Amino acid sequence: MFFNSIAFAIFLPIVFFLYWFVFNKTKSTQNALLIVASYYFYSCWDWRFLFLLVFSTFLDYYTGIQIEKGKSEKSRKFWFWLSILVNLGFLGVFKYYNFFAASFSDLLNSAGFKASPILLNVILPVGISFYTFHGLSYVIDIYYKRIKAEYNFVDYSLFVSYFPLLVAGPIERATHLLPEIKVKREFDLEKAKEGIYQIVWGLVKKVIIADTCATYANAIFDNYSSMNSFSLILGAIYFAFQIYGDFSGYSDIALGVSKLFGLDLLRNFNYPYFSRDIAEFWRRWHISLSSWFRDYLYIPLGGSKGGTWMKIRNTFIIFVVSGFWHGANWTYLAWGFINAVYFLPLLLSNSNRNNMDAIELKFNFDSAKVLMSIFYTFFLTCIAWVFFRARTISDAVLYLKRVITNRDFSFQYLNNERYSYELLLMIGIFVLIEWNNRNKIEPLSGKRSMLKLSLAILAIMAFGTYSDYKEFIYFQF
Amino acid sequence: MKNFLIYAAKILVFTILIAIVLDVIYTCVFLQSANRGKIETVFNSKAQKLDVVILGSSRANNHFVGQMFEDKGLKTFNYGMSGGHLFEASLLLKLMIERKYEIKNVILEADLNLSNDQEAEGISAKFLPYIHNSKVIKDHFASKDNFHQLYYIPFYRYIKYDGKIGFRESYKIVKQEKTNALDNLGYYPLVKHKNGNMKNNIANLKPLPHNKYYEEIKKICKDNHINFIAIMTPMCENVVGMNYFGKVKKVYPEIYNYENVVVENKYFSSCGHMTDTGARMFTGRIIKDFFKR
Repeated sequence: MFFNSIAFAIFLPIVFFLYWFVFNKTKSTQNALLIVASYYFYSCWDWRFLFLLVFSTFLDYYTGIQIEKGKSEKSRKFWFWLSILVNLGFLGVFKYYNFFAASFSDLLNSAGFKASPILLNVILPVGISFYTFHGLSYVIDIYYKRIKAEYNFVDYSLFVSYFPLLVAGPIERATHLLPEIKVKREFDLEKAKEGIYQIVWGLVKKVIIADTCATYANAIFDNYSSMNSFSLILGAIYFAFQIYGDFSGYSDIALGVSKLFGLDLLRNFNYPYFSRDIAEFWRRWHISLSSWFRDYLYIPLGGSKGGTWMKIRNTFIIFVVSGFWHGANWTYLAWGFINAVYFLPLLLSNSNRNNMDAIELKFNFDSAKVLMSIFYTFFLTCIAWVFFRARTISDAVLYLKRVITNRDFSFQYLNNERYSYELLLMIGIFVLIEWNNRNKIEPLSGKRSMLKLSLAILAIMAFGTYSDYKEFIYFQF
Repeated sequence: MKNFLIYAAKILVFTILIAIVLDVIYTCVFLQSANRGKIETVFNSKAQKLDVVILGSSRANNHFVGQMFEDKGLKTFNYGMSGGHLFEASLLLKLMIERKYEIKNVILEADLNLSNDQEAEGISAKFLPYIHNSKVIKDHFASKDNFHQLYYIPFYRYIKYDGKIGFRESYKIVKQEKTNALDNLGYYPLVKHKNGNMKNNIANLKPLPHNKYYEEIKKICKDNHINFIAIMTPMCENVVGMNYFGKVKKVYPEIYNYENVVVENKYFSSCGHMTDTGARMFTGRIIKDFFKR
């Protein structure tokens, strides 16, 4: 059941009605309803993986309590590692086993040994990377005594399986979401309206920007060897907007839906393409994942403390692991590695926290510099996106090589029966709207919100891409 | 909560209003379309006289050279549509009859397309803008599963088939941008491709014993005193399951088998589609056999 489907348009009002009119007596009834709704939502993909979700929930619930109750450090450690290993074990089997088996076999073959890997014929349970990380952060926080274990199984289950964030995040923290779950929610008109704005803007991003860009990006990436330099450059830009519209659109809808139930989720995107350097980009892109890796991997490894080599090592570890989190493919590792290369000079020159302030533009040289740095950062991210999107690393390298060597900058007709440049106007308008509203969560709230909302709905209907439907990209992670 | 419900109701009303307004605008635009495609042209046309009307899929579109019929004094138009099935061919003929076309002969390419009686969504979508303006179209779609959504939900059909009848197509109609669908009297010539696929496996295809839309076309022709000529058109040399054409002949003995008229791969652009040279050889033979000219 996708957020932009008819099924969800029926599901959401039913759950909303039951939540506020039938199960609104206590927080327990509210939470129980949301769990039932969440499990139903999840089972719409594949009910068999519901058992995995319930098992994972129970494991972290139980080990969390055992860690807190543990009298000796040995016992606490035992439950802690049990949880970590089982969680990562599931992730490893379902997501990474085939990749490692095939890569190991390739390595043996290249060394002259004959090896054929035993591959598992399993599909990736949707959302496994997201709910596993929910559970991991919870257990780690208990182990390091940052939070108390949750003894109410219903409340904890909702924290893990809450349907707006279940399949593609944002990756929530127990410190943030559990306190909200533990109190009865009262209806808040303004919050609900904000939710509607975010849902509608998320749909604009998904069906107008992401899905339309996808048809162009696919037509270019899938035939890159016959494309000219201009089309290849546009292909990278289209994919940059496809993945942004797709993932941030999903996050917006998730946050908006959650607000309808009175629960605030962590913000996941903050106009990342207006970043002035890569460090700022990573503070604005997939914020919940970046901060997760910062808190649970980078800082425990020593962070930016220690010597230069330590900084370099930690930077590469966090970016490469982050890339690998996205999927079992060398292209994601390369994408993480490239971002580490981008980030490292900023870290080593202590300028990674230079651009913490809001962007203000005036008619002066400094503003021109700011604009240039935004364009430059976008340019760097586009190069990295080519690796993210390409099927193999060599495809990505050949793609970029062709951008430089082809040197033909004419308009091409693509196999999606459109010209390569046709989408630029729509992207330009979208960027202008986001730029003018970059200090708000979304552009629809504020003055004349009803008019803006109506225009957005009109645009969704008139300019959206529907017949060439694309799944949300991050569902595969 | 009451205020929110009122607010949500307002959004719903606005959404419905927007859908109605967009539906009206798009439909008005499509009612003006005349030079974009065969369906729009027929829908927006008036009565006319034609000696030969050619119907079918791309194997009609690329195989019957309209000008060769005209050269023999036969007023002809090739209404074959690439990707189309008999569902659309039948509806197009019904539209012509609704517009009081006087047709003497219908040549129907009837071979591979006899194996299904489903619609080809990419082509049938082009009829949908007119669903409220033509009883023939409405009735033709009435048996489809999603008919009620298509007919009663405003703008739904434009959203569902946005790639075919959405914003881009409407914009091109407004701009009066022409396509090549109507050039060469509807015939689309193909050239030889170096990498054209010269293999085809049709072993799994089976002609339906009573193809609903084939029978429908036959009946329309009979009712309107139109000479009905059904023809199987050529395939390249490397086809697996060539006995399909024999099966068609068994089920529909009235269909003329011209599959073997052109065989050599050099006359094919891909396995199921002849080049212009092959199409001219084939059309010459058809004119000679059926029109004695």
